[in-house]
Amino acid sequence: MSAGSGMRVIAKLDVKPPFVVKPIHFEGLRKIGDPAQLARRYYEQGADEILYIDIVASLYQRNVLFDQVEAVSSQLFVPFAVGGGVRCIDDMVRLFHGGADKIAINTHVLQHNPELLDEAARTFGCQAVVVAIEAKRHSHGWECYSDCGRERSGKEVIAWVQEAERRGAGEVLVQSVDCDGRRQGFDVALLQAVKRGVGIPVIAASGAGSIADVVTMAAQVRPDAVAVASLLHYGLASIAELKAALVEAGL
Amino acid sequence: MSAASVAVVDVGLVGNIASIRRALEAAGAHVDVIDRPDQLLQADKLVLPGVGSFAEAMAEINTRGWLEPLRLAAVSRPTLGICLGMQLLSRIGFEFGESEGLAVLDGEVRRMECKAPIPHIGFKAVTTVGKPELFRGIAESEEFYFMHSYEVVNYTDVAALCEHGSHRFVCALQRDQVFGVQFHPEKSRDAGIALLRNFVEL
Repeated sequence: MSAGSGMRVIAKLDVKPPFVVKPIHFEGLRKIGDPAQLARRYYEQGADEILYIDIVASLYQRNVLFDQVEAVSSQLFVPFAVGGGVRCIDDMVRLFHGGADKIAINTHVLQHNPELLDEAARTFGCQAVVVAIEAKRHSHGWECYSDCGRERSGKEVIAWVQEAERRGAGEVLVQSVDCDGRRQGFDVALLQAVKRGVGIPVIAASGAGSIADVVTMAAQVRPDAVAVASLLHYGLASIAELKAALVEAGL
Repeated sequence: MSAASVAVVDVGLVGNIASIRRALEAAGAHVDVIDRPDQLLQADKLVLPGVGSFAEAMAEINTRGWLEPLRLAAVSRPTLGICLGMQLLSRIGFEFGESEGLAVLDGEVRRMECKAPIPHIGFKAVTTVGKPELFRGIAESEEFYFMHSYEVVNYTDVAALCEHGSHRFVCALQRDQVFGVQFHPEKSRDAGIALLRNFVEL
């Protein structure tokens, strides 16, 4: 029915207010630009969604900066997902009022209160709740981390995403601490394991250094969406080029 | 020419009312967000948005005194339900138990049953049935943004269909001047604005 690729292409903005930054292995931040301007640029290039993550909010134990979120959302007529430092339903309410369509959450539900996922799904519908994963590989699987890959959780990724799905998460954003920002390709085994493990949509992230990286991963994993950051920020590809390549590859 | 006036109904649910307001304004409407049932009758046109679950939304509608005023208002002026808002216009819903809807349109709201991932999320083209006013001037190749786990099962007022995996479902309804869309026109780029403009200019 659809002429385009069925796979959503999401522009991911990692934000350390007031700038979009790009961490490498979730550390060593580089300043990229203004969130509202970049969101607008990627929207105009054809992004199916914009994902805004305040990567230091949890670390600093503060909320996402709501005025920033509002400034970004006001220019977009595509879905806008926001995450960073979300700890309770009231935090989510404020983000929705600021123009968010979905909430991405990792630290608080992983480390402190998984029940918040149940409560959020009941209140806002599961389609509005994205569980974000920061996976780090170990000898026989992957462990969930939080706070930009700094804090261990002791939880295995596959068991946790399955629990998150049961609790009502509507999507899972899979980021890899090992691959993020390195531009050397995705952790395909991780993505395949998550895709096999859950029935909710899977957003593949972390590691795209070229259009070929995305196409190769997409052919192997068949994720429901791919989130890219460095690829766009460093001008290695536009969203339009990426989408055209996915369509060409029949994905 | 003065802009057509549209009231966005805030029944007390948290939602993306800010997005809907902006999109309606981009479509040329003058927008008021109303949060009291007595404001309904002053509105030229109504938009009923909604995110959340059917049961919680109907509970709000019932406890805050919206039920009868909203029913009455919805059948007496052009009304557009978006996503959960379209579902609420239906007769009955089965999300978190069975609850009665506004029953402005026939239909049952049921969980989508298919092999493809649920929730159904993403941009999809739709196939119109007949010549629905909302889709006037919009090419069939245009895509709209979906984000839902439940669908309205209706056989009598279908304005457009969509597919998820191999599952076909109703994605737009029209009966007289009551309209519903399962997708989010406020999140569907220019095609969504064009659809809202068709509603605003009715």
